[in-house]
Amino acid sequence: MKKSLVLIVSCLIIGVLLLPFGCGEKVKPIKIGINAPMTGDIPKVGEGTKFAAQMWLEDIQASGGLEVGGKKYPVELVIEDNESKAESAVKANTKLITEDEVLAIVGPQSSKQAVPAGGVANNYQTPMISPWSTNPNTTKDRPYVFRGCFLDPFQGPVLANFIKEEFGYSKAAVLYDVASDYPKGLAEFFKQAWENLYGPGSVVAFESFTTKDADFSSQLTKINRSGAEVLFTPQYYNEVALIVQQAHELGWNKPIVGSDSWGSAETVKLCGKDCYGLFFSTHYAAAGATGATKAFIDRYNKKHGYIPDDVAALTWDSLRIVQEAIQSSGQLTGNVAKDRQSVRNALARIKEFDGITGKMTFTEEGDPIKCAVIVRISDKGEFEFYKSVCP
Amino acid sequence: MKATSENSPKSNRSRARAFREYFSGVPLLGWLAGGLVAVLLERFLGTPLAHLLGLPKVPVLFGCVIILKKPLLIPGTVIYLLLVYVLPVGIVARLCGSVINRLVSWLFNLSPTFSVIVHLCLLYGLLSIWSGISAYRLLTLKLTLIAVIVTLSLNIINGYMGEFSCSHPGFMALGAYSASVVTLLLFVDDRVFGAALLPEALGPFMFPVALIGGGIVAAVGAIAIAIPSFRTRGDYLAIISLAFMFIVKSMIENLEIVGGPRGLSSQPNYVNLPTLFLWTVAAVWIINNFVRSVLGKALNAVRDDEMAADAMTVNTRRTKFVAFLFGAFWAGVAGGLLAHVLRYVNPGTFGIQKLAEVLAMVYFGGLNSVYGSIVGAVGYSLLSEALRPLELFKWIIIPLLLILVMIFRPTGLIAFKEFNVMNLIRPKGKPIREESTSKGGVLIRS
Repeated sequence: MKKSLVLIVSCLIIGVLLLPFGCGEKVKPIKIGINAPMTGDIPKVGEGTKFAAQMWLEDIQASGGLEVGGKKYPVELVIEDNESKAESAVKANTKLITEDEVLAIVGPQSSKQAVPAGGVANNYQTPMISPWSTNPNTTKDRPYVFRGCFLDPFQGPVLANFIKEEFGYSKAAVLYDVASDYPKGLAEFFKQAWENLYGPGSVVAFESFTTKDADFSSQLTKINRSGAEVLFTPQYYNEVALIVQQAHELGWNKPIVGSDSWGSAETVKLCGKDCYGLFFSTHYAAAGATGATKAFIDRYNKKHGYIPDDVAALTWDSLRIVQEAIQSSGQLTGNVAKDRQSVRNALARIKEFDGITGKMTFTEEGDPIKCAVIVRISDKGEFEFYKSVCP
Repeated sequence: MKATSENSPKSNRSRARAFREYFSGVPLLGWLAGGLVAVLLERFLGTPLAHLLGLPKVPVLFGCVIILKKPLLIPGTVIYLLLVYVLPVGIVARLCGSVINRLVSWLFNLSPTFSVIVHLCLLYGLLSIWSGISAYRLLTLKLTLIAVIVTLSLNIINGYMGEFSCSHPGFMALGAYSASVVTLLLFVDDRVFGAALLPEALGPFMFPVALIGGGIVAAVGAIAIAIPSFRTRGDYLAIISLAFMFIVKSMIENLEIVGGPRGLSSQPNYVNLPTLFLWTVAAVWIINNFVRSVLGKALNAVRDDEMAADAMTVNTRRTKFVAFLFGAFWAGVAGGLLAHVLRYVNPGTFGIQKLAEVLAMVYFGGLNSVYGSIVGAVGYSLLSEALRPLELFKWIIIPLLLILVMIFRPTGLIAFKEFNVMNLIRPKGKPIREESTSKGGVLIRS
């Protein structure tokens, strides 16, 4: 027993000696939480989020901190991995709010995490912006939760109108993943918008599949036979490549149109020449961008070696919105609960915020009013700006 | 005892044994009292002590998160843990051991049931003070308790019955959705089902009914697997149950009435710690009684040799059927609790990832053992929470640990061990053992 006592005492002494290294706190930093899927199904999304957030932090650090009410505060990012799971996102948000005492949270990205995590943020009265979540429930009846992207009820009609104006077709086919929240929602909104334009029955094929399916030949054959003039498929990058390639193999030579989920750096890499010349709607266009957008893209590309996708751009914008809200909230009291309240009020007041994905104004629900961009995949595989559609 | 510890050869094993013996006279109540002192200490002195040691806050989850994120704070964290947890627990347990032992034997002679209740009250007090310090701790604790129920319910099928069932996420989904639909329909004004049908005040009282309803729905779902699959054996059940899991998931995804892939949200906040604690205790108690009953023994006989069991007049079909439905029932209850803790369910939660998690907890803890399930669920949940700052490396460390467990203890950490409550609360005069000393798989002497 003596030995263990000696061991404990010596541990204590060593600990006390090492203690000064752990101490040393000056001005209380502003903490911003990032709740991102670093592991799990969509690690690329988490990576983009993290890189954009780190770039933002570099900017702040380069200018010596965030100036609020005439005083400079250092900024700290707390990045939590939500493993692409609902429970983990809830845990991560709870930890960020109660343990790390962050002032505001950016994330989670996908709706299946943003909906429950938004509930937590709202309960603890902490402002949260989900850059990428499109589920209406994320922000509905939650005064503290905002989002950085437009919603599907807006995107569906935008695409339907674009196809009408661009091609003048009247028969459309839709192929979507029935098991995934986002494609399903968007497919339905598109169908509704299309039928408003051309009347019932104008969507001649409304075919579905399930997540992780890799063979779409039966659905595509049906679509081919249905006499559709255009195919709309609101899928993620890995499925887009498969669908487009298989459609071309089956003899489909009419246009294929996509949604903002196409806007990943991986789409063209996986899809290759098959995707050249296709259109999709998204938040911003990388090729041919100007001004701040171009500066962001170039910087990101230089640092990480690829063109940032929309998640990175939206995260960047969300962080900038948070920054602006903190700065325009006037003054930080040091009392986190009070500061969160004033940041949330400042967020709700933001008008015509000039982001790299367009101008934003928040509605009552915390959803932004912003423009969508139609992008054409060029013959070099770049996302070219084609036109902009505003609400 | 002191003499043995000083004169023993200096091998680690004997030192560990000496250490164990030093504390062997401490009954469970002593440990609980020590824990209670530790958490009270943390409650009242934790924050100043943490500041004194240079820590930003009281370390949650025993400092793992701090250690991994800011290595410079390791010494402070270690001192904190020593001062707040290790020393008080050790000192109280050791010094008050004899007093508490007398108290325990008095309690035990008075009425074992009363003694159990005293133990549970102490345990609850300990947990509620511990989790009262931060909401993050509370959430982790809640999800851990739910994991205990799920793991136990799967252990009935995979451990005691010896089949390999993959349908547990499916049962949980059935339970979660049924319970959510009941509470949302009856007690909450929400967007999917409209206005509440019953007054909101009734909700908390009717919640157990909703949970049991969820469990029953899950059990009914289990019949769908049980009937066709019990005609076959072994791997076939695994395949059929895996298919069942996907069927449930796709079914919910396509049921617009419960929100489809978007899921259901805004469940009422009924699951507070006392409720969840009671449900967990009930689950452990009922499942433990089940596996120790005649039916449970028959189940073991069926697992070891179905033909022989049949010859010994065990109704093998009925035994398997009941056990399977029983396991599914508790999985459904756990699903209902989970839905009301997260206050959101979507079908995507109940997929392969969940299955892997539950299976890992069962096999990590130990087959055919209530102890093992508790250790596995608590260990896995805390470990995966504590290692979260490592991001990707977490998914290397945890599987690696699982592989090591499978190599050195192929049936899990604490397998094939009975959970005997009477032995647990008995006064300790002679060296028996404490919960964590599982090595050698000593059976409890009664």
